[in-house]
Amino acid sequence: MNAARDANLDYGAALARAFGGALLFSFPLLMTMEMWSLGMTVDRWRLVIFLVLTIPMLIGLSYYAGFESTFRLKDEVLDALAAFGVGFLLSAALLGMFGVLRGDGVGSQAVWGKISLCAAPAAIGALLAGKQLGERGPGRGEKARAGAVGELFLMAVGATFLAFNVAPTEEMILIAYQMGPLQTLLLMTASIVLLHLYVYRLGFPGETKRREAGGFRRTFVAFTAPGYGVALMVSLYMLWTFGRTDGVAPHEVATMTIVLGFPAALGAATARLVV
Amino acid sequence: MARAKSKASTDDIPPLEWAAAGVGLCLAATAIGLTAWDAAFGVDSPPAIEVRLTKVTPTPYGYVAQIEAFNHGGAPAAQVAVEGVLAGAEPETASATFDYIPEQSRAEGGLIFEHDPRAGPLKLRAKGFIEAS
Repeated sequence: MNAARDANLDYGAALARAFGGALLFSFPLLMTMEMWSLGMTVDRWRLVIFLVLTIPMLIGLSYYAGFESTFRLKDEVLDALAAFGVGFLLSAALLGMFGVLRGDGVGSQAVWGKISLCAAPAAIGALLAGKQLGERGPGRGEKARAGAVGELFLMAVGATFLAFNVAPTEEMILIAYQMGPLQTLLLMTASIVLLHLYVYRLGFPGETKRREAGGFRRTFVAFTAPGYGVALMVSLYMLWTFGRTDGVAPHEVATMTIVLGFPAALGAATARLVV
Repeated sequence: MARAKSKASTDDIPPLEWAAAGVGLCLAATAIGLTAWDAAFGVDSPPAIEVRLTKVTPTPYGYVAQIEAFNHGGAPAAQVAVEGVLAGAEPETASATFDYIPEQSRAEGGLIFEHDPRAGPLKLRAKGFIEAS
């Protein structure tokens, strides 16, 4: 009986940390105007796809950085759902407090759209918090177990997470309009070089050294190039979700993707720092 | 100590964990369900914006006519230009722009007239919008 109470208390503390983390990671988005307007105007099917995709992403993330040190599928699913719930509750509370939901009927599509769009990044924050703010998290051992696919998955999550902070803003499109072809190529090169440096050269804590063993060319082909590919795909997906690609010429879409690919690449590179 | 605790919590899941996951599942299911329902069966009509006068307050700087715009249509509208024409001895026009009016939602604003809009016939209407994206 006592043990059960302890377990509840433990979980309560983890849950509180999850709220803390969600707040820390998602407040920039909750305080971004475009997130509110996108919440009501985003294409409904795209929002459904986005919300449905969020669940497996959270489950995968929970496996690598859950707020309980767990390894079983049932636990990962429970953690992911709890984190999603934390995301929803936190977004609703903050958006309500900011007066963003004023004027929209309760239960209206506008309210749910705004809340659920913000809930996903908050849920990622909630999951990450367990590890970042908690006293015990999965050790190095589990990190090393991420294989090539796991590595790509984590890069995708990192890219999503960082790119999401700027993806909804008008500036992404504006930057794309301002840049010429030469600048675009330069930005692309910078993204790739930075991605490579962050992961394999700067030696941040949590980065695995062993991957460098194969030499520059091997690391580049095996990790950096796919990493940038993932970053670009994540960027394009986000731009599509937010309706930024509709009716836009292909070369402009490419430029936008590369612009958003910059923060995405940084996110992919530093995924290991955060996740 | 920490090890023993974490073992206990993984072996039998505390009720609180079930509750938290349950809440999460409910919220996620509601959000996905509502959005999908709206996507599939929602009214697919253009914005239809009704503008109403709610209150008139005389101020030293003119008569503030508070208005309310309701979008009865099935799509959100952005940058909705609203105009109020006050016919009378000296006809005057006031206008305002609403950033966003989501479908089936309401937004509030105000028009400022030099003459009392309650006196003369006041015509309120939305003049145009751009598709929200």
